[in-house]
Amino acid sequence: MPTLIIDRQEVHAEEGQTVLEAAQAAGFDIPTLCYHPLLEPQGACRMCTVEVIRGGRSRLETSCTYPAWDGIEIKTNSPAVRETRKAIMGLLLSRCPSAQTIQDLALEYGVTEPPFPTEAPEETCILCGLCVRTCHELVRAEAINFSERGVDRRIGPPFLETTDQCIGCGACTIMCPTGAISNILEKQGVYLDKPLGPTSAIYVPSLQAVPRVPVIDTDACIRFRQNDRSDGAIADACGVCQLMCEADAIDFNQQDEVIDLDVGAIIVATGFSMWDPALQSQYSYGKSPNIITGLEFERLSNAGGISGGQIVLDNGEKPKRVAIIHCVGSRDHNAHPYCSRICCMYSLKQAHLVRDKTDAEVFEFYMDMRAFGKAYEEFYERVQHEGVYMVRGKGADVEVLSDGHLRVKGENANLGIVMSIDVDMVILATAIEAQPDANRVASLFGLSRSADGFFAEAHPKLRPVETNTDGVFLAGVAQGPKDVPDTVAHAGAAAGMTLALLDKGEVTISPTVSYILTRYCTGCGKCVFVCPYTAISLGDDSKADINAVLCKGCGTCAATCPSDAIRSLHFADEQLVEQIEGVLYE
Amino acid sequence: MIEELRTKARELLTDGTVDCVIGYEIAPRGDVRPVFIYDPAEVDRLVFNSRCDHNLVTYLNRRNKPPKRGAPVPTTGIVVKPCDAKSIQVLLNEHQVDRDKVTIIGVACAGMVDATGAPETRCTHCLQRTPLLYDVLLGDPPESVDAADSFDDIEEFDALPPEERRAFWLRELNRCIRCYACRQACPGCFCDVCESERDDSLWIGIADDIPEKAFFHITRAFHLAGRCVECNACELVCPMGIPLSLLNRKIVEEIEHSMGGFRAGISDEPTPLVTKLTGEEEINEVHK
Amino acid sequence: MNESNTAAQPAFEPKIVAFMCNWCSYAAADSAGVARFKSPPNVLPVRVMCSGRVSPELILKAFMSGADGVMVLGCHIGDCHYDSGNHRTAKRIPLLRNLLIYMGIEPDRLRLDWVSASESPKFAQVTRDFVDDIRKLGPLDAPFRVPRSPVEGAAREEVLHD
Repeated sequence: MPTLIIDRQEVHAEEGQTVLEAAQAAGFDIPTLCYHPLLEPQGACRMCTVEVIRGGRSRLETSCTYPAWDGIEIKTNSPAVRETRKAIMGLLLSRCPSAQTIQDLALEYGVTEPPFPTEAPEETCILCGLCVRTCHELVRAEAINFSERGVDRRIGPPFLETTDQCIGCGACTIMCPTGAISNILEKQGVYLDKPLGPTSAIYVPSLQAVPRVPVIDTDACIRFRQNDRSDGAIADACGVCQLMCEADAIDFNQQDEVIDLDVGAIIVATGFSMWDPALQSQYSYGKSPNIITGLEFERLSNAGGISGGQIVLDNGEKPKRVAIIHCVGSRDHNAHPYCSRICCMYSLKQAHLVRDKTDAEVFEFYMDMRAFGKAYEEFYERVQHEGVYMVRGKGADVEVLSDGHLRVKGENANLGIVMSIDVDMVILATAIEAQPDANRVASLFGLSRSADGFFAEAHPKLRPVETNTDGVFLAGVAQGPKDVPDTVAHAGAAAGMTLALLDKGEVTISPTVSYILTRYCTGCGKCVFVCPYTAISLGDDSKADINAVLCKGCGTCAATCPSDAIRSLHFADEQLVEQIEGVLYE
Repeated sequence: MIEELRTKARELLTDGTVDCVIGYEIAPRGDVRPVFIYDPAEVDRLVFNSRCDHNLVTYLNRRNKPPKRGAPVPTTGIVVKPCDAKSIQVLLNEHQVDRDKVTIIGVACAGMVDATGAPETRCTHCLQRTPLLYDVLLGDPPESVDAADSFDDIEEFDALPPEERRAFWLRELNRCIRCYACRQACPGCFCDVCESERDDSLWIGIADDIPEKAFFHITRAFHLAGRCVECNACELVCPMGIPLSLLNRKIVEEIEHSMGGFRAGISDEPTPLVTKLTGEEEINEVHK
Repeated sequence: MNESNTAAQPAFEPKIVAFMCNWCSYAAADSAGVARFKSPPNVLPVRVMCSGRVSPELILKAFMSGADGVMVLGCHIGDCHYDSGNHRTAKRIPLLRNLLIYMGIEPDRLRLDWVSASESPKFAQVTRDFVDDIRKLGPLDAPFRVPRSPVEGAAREEVLHD
């Protein structure tokens, strides 16, 4: 293990390390511009220059490339080193006076003005080559490289023409220290669910995600995308996340696992989906980045979001006027006839947040204010006092003006006029609806759906968490729109009923089971075919036999038997005939 | 062919393969009737000709159980035409016949004739001249067959105006005396207690009115859905000459047209009434 | 028709027996009642657990006992509470109906429809329409009722089997 002295301290390095690696591992701070631990060092920017004293002689070397040999002495911050770095920053600042990173770093070394004439003041590329190395070593796309020599040296694709080699991964953009590379994305963002800002291919869905582990979007991840390339490109591209993960927790070969569980009860808590306001063109959703849904506003306002919780427009400025439109897609026979229940209160909250975080005027276009819960009405009154203008009338139309403003038209029913106001931001309180795969989930669990599309509870008043299938319960918005307190109560009820079911130790089955009148059974077996629960079998005596535990009491077997050899308890032929004769009696 | 039949019957009875051979014999007044041969010496009573239009498979009912406790299940040899053999298939599907206990003597058939010598209507629709099921096959199938599988008679009747159809059935059903000969003759009717003859008169009582008769015939036709092999035994045996095949074959046509071309007695598939929808049926047009 | 007697005849009110499955159509009927969707009183409900319970015998019995029309209302295919009970109904009822039509009975007298628990307006509509249709058809006659007039050409002496 080589031992060296850095700034008069003994540092033990590992075999094969460079001085920079050894120094950084020991806690020394050496500035770099063109260095990245995952890439081969280039020694392009020279900022990591240190004094190396070896064999009695002192030399200035770039620590990123100089091996950490046993017995050498390093000075990371000697006057010579500082002079060198100052000179380098002077050169860099002269090349790229407008690059913020360079300006900031130059300031640390006392360079405030570019000492040399600048050829191209807008230039921000310092030719560090991080992008090139990334593209070649990590991404393996090999789409960009250095070209030309001397003062003409530049970075780009061959002949600076668009190339198919570039997979649009954006890795070069992320690596570039000065922001000299920008991506021209043909599609904004990768994630339809996260429209407010780009994110990397491995990401934690939100700061409050449970479990709070990252996921890899295989449509965006370079490694998975490279695997799709049919031109024989190497498949183990990038993998930076795996290299950086200290817990060694990333496994690119993970496959979907199918787990078989025997359970006694199921709680369906599959949540909801948002209605797409683009379906009604009068709201112009999608035509301006400042027309957002209520859910998107929540993301914007979240401290962990892209704007750090600031309410900003797409140009980064705070809005001066915001309109909030209620009932977008709810209470609408052209969309959903039902009320989505949560939007009035969250719209009030959002108005309150806008007023708190900005000085914007807020106009709420509402039809009815549904403030039904505990302290809800009081909050509504408070928000009114905060200067939010409540306009009683549906916000009917949003027009995107040429200067980017948004013209909202709506009726003000209290004043009896049609209002038209120009705002900077429109928040659409869009309807919540059943998930798009609700039909599949319903067939899987034997659920029915109510008229509003959510899963049907066993009884609208008396059995809100049970379904018609014993042992399957509903929790939360899967059963119908509700806010957080109601969801918590609902889910608690579902959990309670489940626990009670499991705790009972016995199961109550339907009493309307069928049984065979063996005397009349001919053993023809037709009943065996029709039972959906395979509760009927032919016994050794060649007669049918019904397992009363499996039987759910539908009676289809009784209707199928030509000999009347099956009696359905409580719905026997004798009873039904009596009913028929009874109702028709005259 | 008759000699072959008698020889085979003698053989089966002598070596004990079967207890009884059910076949046809000449009746005292010259026509044909069923015969039960237990003694090999009597096999010369067996005949086969174009008046053998009874479906003998109905006699297999009850022969799948021991005659009394402790006795073995009887074994039977049975002479069957192609249509009768389809009945055996239906009974096999419904566990009414133990295949090991039955020796099927299949006979190739050129069609039956009625008492006047005219070909029976059902034979003009039948394309099967060799039984699908047999242990022994006697006779040569005819080279050409003047038949076409069709439901012309049903369609013709269907095309009549509803009032005429109703009047027709009222007239025909009114003659029914509920002798239940049709039910007894049908191999598919093997219920121990018939719904129409319950002592508690749950569905119908003993009254001799049109509603009771309509109930019996409609229900019986329905119970034969996907099971009727068109052997016509019901119509042949009716003492009042009711055209029962016109009713029961309507069900056969319905099943064929709306349930994937199914015909009874061809395979071990059960009647489509007990299976689930395949998704290809048109289930929306169930009303209007 | 004796014109002076027209006022004495009460208008024909059909009697309809409706077999309804407990989980879908009966629940729809219940909600229709609660929600005050108007449904004619001619419809006499007979609740069964599943439309698959409805055998042809029950339908014929209803006709024989005085029903002028019979409805069978079940869950939509794919939504049966018991998975596939309504599959059998979907096969049985059209078959029975076609047999009845073959015998000269009006097609509109037997109706199969699918009404889910949340479709109470549909229940009300379907029952209203059906009652109207039966009202136009008039009371059910033979073969399910003892015929009012002697059956033509039915003298038993006329036909003997040879």
